Amino acid sequence: MDGLPGPRVPADRTEILANGHGDQMRKHRSFKALLTAQLPKLVLSPSLIAVFVGVYLFICWTAAISFSSSKMVPKFDFVGLEQYVRLWSTPRWITAVENLFVFTMLFLAITIALGLFIAILLDQRVRAEGVLRAIYLYPMALSFIVTGTAWKWILNPSLGVQKVVNDLGWQGFVFDWITRPEFAIYCVVIAAVWQSTGFAMAIFLAGLRGIDNSIIKAAQIEGAGMARIYLSIIVPMLRPAFLSVIVLLSYISIKSFDLVLALTNAGPGSATEMPSTFMFSATFRRNQMGVGAASAMMMLMTVAAIIIPYLYSELKEDRDGH
Amino acid sequence: MATDRQPGRRSHMIGRVFIYGSLLGLAAFYLMPLWVMVATSLKSLDEIYAGSFIGVPEKVTFEAWVKAWGTACIGTKCDGLKPYFVNSLVMVIPAVVLSSGIGAINGYVLTKWRFKGANVVFGLLLFGCFLPFQAVLLPMAQILGWLGLAGTIPGLVLVHTVYGIAFTTLFFRNYFVTIPDELTKAAQIDGAGFFRIFFSIMLPAALPIIVVSCIWQFTQIWNDFLFGVSFTAGDSSPVTVALNNIVNVTMGRKQYNVDMASAMIAAIPTLVVYVVAGRYFVRGLTAGAVKG
Amino acid sequence: MAKITKILMAAAMILPLANIAHAEGKVEGIHHWVSESEVGALKVLTGSLSTKGFTWEDSAVGGLSGANATQALRTRLAAGNPPATMQFLGYEGIEWAGEGVLRPLNDLYAANGWEAAIAPAILPFVKAGDTYFSVPINMHRQNWVWVNKAIFDQHGITEPKSWDELIAAGKKLKEAGVTPIALSDESWQILEVFEAILTDQNGTDFYKKAVIDLDEAALSGPEMIKAFDTLRDVRGLIDDGFTGRDWAVATGMVASGEAAMQIMGDWAKGEFLAKGMKPGVDFLCFPTPAATPNYKFVIDAFGTFVNEDAEINAGQDAWVATVMDPENQKNFNLIKGSIPARTDVSVDDFDDCAKRSFADREAAVAAGTMVGGLTEGFAAQPQYAGVFFDVVGQFFVTDMSSQDAVQMLVDGINNAR
Repeated sequence: MDGLPGPRVPADRTEILANGHGDQMRKHRSFKALLTAQLPKLVLSPSLIAVFVGVYLFICWTAAISFSSSKMVPKFDFVGLEQYVRLWSTPRWITAVENLFVFTMLFLAITIALGLFIAILLDQRVRAEGVLRAIYLYPMALSFIVTGTAWKWILNPSLGVQKVVNDLGWQGFVFDWITRPEFAIYCVVIAAVWQSTGFAMAIFLAGLRGIDNSIIKAAQIEGAGMARIYLSIIVPMLRPAFLSVIVLLSYISIKSFDLVLALTNAGPGSATEMPSTFMFSATFRRNQMGVGAASAMMMLMTVAAIIIPYLYSELKEDRDGH
Repeated sequence: MATDRQPGRRSHMIGRVFIYGSLLGLAAFYLMPLWVMVATSLKSLDEIYAGSFIGVPEKVTFEAWVKAWGTACIGTKCDGLKPYFVNSLVMVIPAVVLSSGIGAINGYVLTKWRFKGANVVFGLLLFGCFLPFQAVLLPMAQILGWLGLAGTIPGLVLVHTVYGIAFTTLFFRNYFVTIPDELTKAAQIDGAGFFRIFFSIMLPAALPIIVVSCIWQFTQIWNDFLFGVSFTAGDSSPVTVALNNIVNVTMGRKQYNVDMASAMIAAIPTLVVYVVAGRYFVRGLTAGAVKG
Repeated sequence: MAKITKILMAAAMILPLANIAHAEGKVEGIHHWVSESEVGALKVLTGSLSTKGFTWEDSAVGGLSGANATQALRTRLAAGNPPATMQFLGYEGIEWAGEGVLRPLNDLYAANGWEAAIAPAILPFVKAGDTYFSVPINMHRQNWVWVNKAIFDQHGITEPKSWDELIAAGKKLKEAGVTPIALSDESWQILEVFEAILTDQNGTDFYKKAVIDLDEAALSGPEMIKAFDTLRDVRGLIDDGFTGRDWAVATGMVASGEAAMQIMGDWAKGEFLAKGMKPGVDFLCFPTPAATPNYKFVIDAFGTFVNEDAEINAGQDAWVATVMDPENQKNFNLIKGSIPARTDVSVDDFDDCAKRSFADREAAVAAGTMVGGLTEGFAAQPQYAGVFFDVVGQFFVTDMSSQDAVQMLVDGINNAR
């Protein structure tokens, strides 16, 4: 290549880095360099603007409303913390917050346990793994407007499980949780677990598949039993998967709106009220937009309190680690 | 990661019985609501009112399905679900493509074109995942009004795209982090530009996560009701709004079989996506979405 | 005009016309009628509208007793894209009139003499101050008792004249092994019963004081406690499968003889008629027993939204006239099961239950005992009505004492003030 006419083709990469081109090229290159330097930010900017408006601006809007006397339409006056005081003096809101805790704890614990259990089972070279996996995953595909009615029947004592079991002969069997204010929230947990286990299972399965076999073999050679291997080696190695699952399931839990409305409509009474349904009914049904906004701000602050530390730890690691 | 087994035959058998038994038992639990829905949709209305909801249909009939698709009344329009189904398709496909595409480019920028504060930007984008959507209905409606998109399908596409960016960026960014920087740096030195690298290197390698992102977005957007009912009107409503109208009939004899058939019709696209593409979903997650 | 309204209207005006429902003879309406009979009745109106040269564009949003429709309306107004007309329940119309987004209908009312044709008690719900903003199409009555006649005959029971008699009859039926009352655990169904008890036992003046004026003494007094006690008696007269029960299913129980009575509005009538049952022969209908007869009304009214487009205004005018047309009112209500909002429509074609409703209404108008129903939003405003729902619903499904319920009620109302 050396000595031939025409454009000079660099012999190796370092040459480009080392040599400059002529002045003209330098000017052209510096504009191009400028553009190239800014291009990433330019490309990101539509998303940033969209998220800035769609998320942060709207959060400010909601905050402003929560400090106002808005009832049916937004009013931008200022009444201090009045709506927050009202919010926390409303028994239904207290119920909603309690429900959120109970629901989230149970939902997370059961879904993770069940998801992990199924993932481990499926990982044991099971036949028809594909079919089984589809069976566990499909509930995620359905919206609760679709399945809410089916679940309502299944959980209703005179139409569903209790009736079937009674008809089969066990007269004493009672499963009327959905009718009892103290137990109705567990029905919501059941339906939510049903919907989300497949997703947790998929993530755990992916994590399990990513674990190197040699580690297991080494432990087996050392004489460790299967259970021991699982508990001490495999489960700890699934830490990233656990984190992802917890974040995503928490997201689902806070959002659980369709589910509650379809299944119990926050009943019986207001026994299964959740912050999301409370916010909706305050704003759109009871003409208490200020209170609704205050409840939304409370939800946001809770979420922020959990997510921001997680994000910080994740992204900090990344900066150093990667 | 399937492990080899050394133990004796008997405990091996018990082990297998336990495994299959548990899996099948759980499968029954997961299939139960689907069974209820399908069985009810195949019964005639008299049979439902006469008997239980859970039993096997005495006589299988598809009249409920036909009615749900073509003649069920949603308000005063009695054209069934078909027009709304089409609306949903027209709305979901662009929204999925747009949000996934933007997420891909965002992930690419955030991992391969590091600039100061990239992680902060990512964190800011990510927070959008956790927003309670009821809170943004009214201000979003105002914005759509100003843009002249109120009550239209493009408006709904815009809303879903905006709120999908957070998740798709998460997926792609976490995936692209695992693609070695050397690849892109080498391409840069060879003279490839920003977009060239994206289209020739990043996208082809990203097939698994593209599938994950599209599946997730498709499901979320197709099943959405809140935005659909708030930002569209009448003819431009998606299928979830129509379904809600059908199942919320409060007067007269509730047509349970049509309700269930409608619910099934509305669920079919997402079901198909999950059943067909489910294995790619797991594969995609294995390939890197899961790591941290 | 409130500042936000100015913004809304400004937004509406600078929008390119292509986005406002550009009429060409169309009237777009939001409503929550999605059942067959409701839609059938609506078609009477839309059919009549088309004879005037306008087509109806339907934006039905069902569910949650109209809450979804209300939400849809608010977001559309926020977007500056209101429909031509909307079905209003309760205070919804009044609130929007207060925001200045509804067209005044005074001219049409004056030209057609509509004011004289509707009962005075409903005026506050179609008129804000001096401005008319909506037209009523029908009138429902909340507090009917629907009875399976065969069961009553079999046990020698006749129409009870007081709540004590009704409870006693219920207990007699329960001992005989019949489910006396078919109910649900849905708050609104329970509240319908509770407010009937409240009004029947204490008269409409007390009802107004407690529920509309929210007078604290009335809310915490012995009458309230007695009403809760009576509700507790009712609780003892229902079967165990009452959770999540749809109101129409409860009506079905009465129709098939599984239960003897249901306390429900007149929309339940359609269920009996659809099964071919005849009033007075197969089923009985009478208002909940009261010392002084009262009439608890519920109306559906249509309001029209301010719009710059003259074509749309023409459509709205035509729609309003369609709704108030006596012939349309008659036909609509024959299908829907309510009675016309107009008091000057002839009674002849209606069934016996409706005829009784007509007669009772006339009497109530004369005696001044016509009041709006709390459950359907025609008494207390939504933020206060919400408290009643919560307290009554919770009282019914728990062992709460009447005293505690009253306390919770008072606290809740004060919190919402």
